[in-house]
Amino acid sequence: MSNIAGKAYAMNVITPIRPYTTWVNKFIFWIAVKIPGTLKGLITLSLIHYARWVIIGKDQFPHLDPKQPKEELNYTYMMFFSNFNGSWDQYVDSFTFAIPGGLDLFWKWNIRYSKSVPLTPFHDYIRYNQIETIHYYNAYPLAASNDVKSAKTVKSSLIKFEQDTRNVSGDNFLKLYNALLRGLQHDMGDMYPTPIVSMSAHQVERRQKWHAANLPEGGAGPTGGTAPKEAHGHSAKKGK
Amino acid sequence: MSSNISGNAYALTILSPIKDGFTQDEIAYADIVRDRLQGWNAEHNSPMALVPQTYLCRYFVLDDVYLESLPGGSAIDTLVDWLPFVPDTLRRWAWPKEDHLKSRYLVFSCNFHGGPKADLDGYLRGMWNAIGDRIKEIWGYCHGFDQVDNADKFIDYMKKCQLTATLFFVGSNDDPLEEQLKALYLKQEFAKFAIDNQGLDAATVKTNFQAFVDRVRPSELDGPTWKAGAYRVDELVELKKNKG
Repeated sequence: MSNIAGKAYAMNVITPIRPYTTWVNKFIFWIAVKIPGTLKGLITLSLIHYARWVIIGKDQFPHLDPKQPKEELNYTYMMFFSNFNGSWDQYVDSFTFAIPGGLDLFWKWNIRYSKSVPLTPFHDYIRYNQIETIHYYNAYPLAASNDVKSAKTVKSSLIKFEQDTRNVSGDNFLKLYNALLRGLQHDMGDMYPTPIVSMSAHQVERRQKWHAANLPEGGAGPTGGTAPKEAHGHSAKKGK
Repeated sequence: MSSNISGNAYALTILSPIKDGFTQDEIAYADIVRDRLQGWNAEHNSPMALVPQTYLCRYFVLDDVYLESLPGGSAIDTLVDWLPFVPDTLRRWAWPKEDHLKSRYLVFSCNFHGGPKADLDGYLRGMWNAIGDRIKEIWGYCHGFDQVDNADKFIDYMKKCQLTATLFFVGSNDDPLEEQLKALYLKQEFAKFAIDNQGLDAATVKTNFQAFVDRVRPSELDGPTWKAGAYRVDELVELKKNKG
């Protein structure tokens, strides 16, 4: 199980909808797609990398082989996938506090949806319908969503500054440099791993430590032979 | 398929039915898939780090559908659950029915840079070319995958398993992954530079800045950058990008 990859958490929630009310949810999502202003509330939740809702009709589960039994379901299902920073509680609560109305609209008439306020039944609902991720990959485990966004600003500002100051010398350069720093003060910042960067990283770390302590140099590799041999020496490396 | 796309980002949702069978050791195929995915967690990095343009992705096995059994907040639920004068037949009729899936599904949910043309084929081809063997390892027990032995067949297969997103929200940005990684590298390095050069005189800062630019090469994606999927500070920087 690995719901966490670096600073990102993967949430999967599946909830049933009565087939004859599914059009309501589809209509609400359609409005959200057509009028992006309706997603303003979601945008304020800057901890989200990417999120999506997928509505699967009761007859729409992929059927690829005559040998595969056909699903016979009573309900349509809505799947929600989110990639966010922070803990489960922080995320779920921030939804409740920031966009309770929007949340209730998206889950409108999902069966037994408790509404986003009060918190405890909402937590129970999400927890009950949540499915654990087995493998989660993140291309930038050390970065939060806000880091990715601010990095873009840093990059473009840096390139522009470098071009603009090629022929500027002395105190003028320093003035412009200080102005650059002032302009970027909300976007700067070092990125480091969180204490447990990912469950997989944690497992690798544990295994490497065990091997370093228990096996002689050049001894047998771990089961499956997937860990790199330089594992013993990684702590000696010092990167920039 | 337009709701799978937001700007240049693409939301790929795949549900692949797993065969309902057992190995000779009486292990369900779905459990083998689960076990292999679990094995990926113990590798030095995810095989998905090799797949170009992948921002974030996940795998899990959908064993069944779920239904929260406590009373909910909808008008119908509240009425039929709590009003004693509602006839019993109506109460029973309104209770949620119990659903169960007949197959288990391998779920692959991925966010990637599809570009202005939302190039799903290109992404899947890149995935097959980068980790074809690892794909077979995971999808090998799924219905309809037996015939898949090249990139074109893999693309066709995945499209048969694809579900359309109803709403895709991008809270981050949709730049190509190389751009994002380079930007993160620059953000990290420039923060260090700013700290190291505090209080220095103008000429020194300018000289140091020029040396900094020569080292980090801000506009060159082929220059130093972050490695995709690196989770340790001492493994983060890639001085020269791997080709192919």
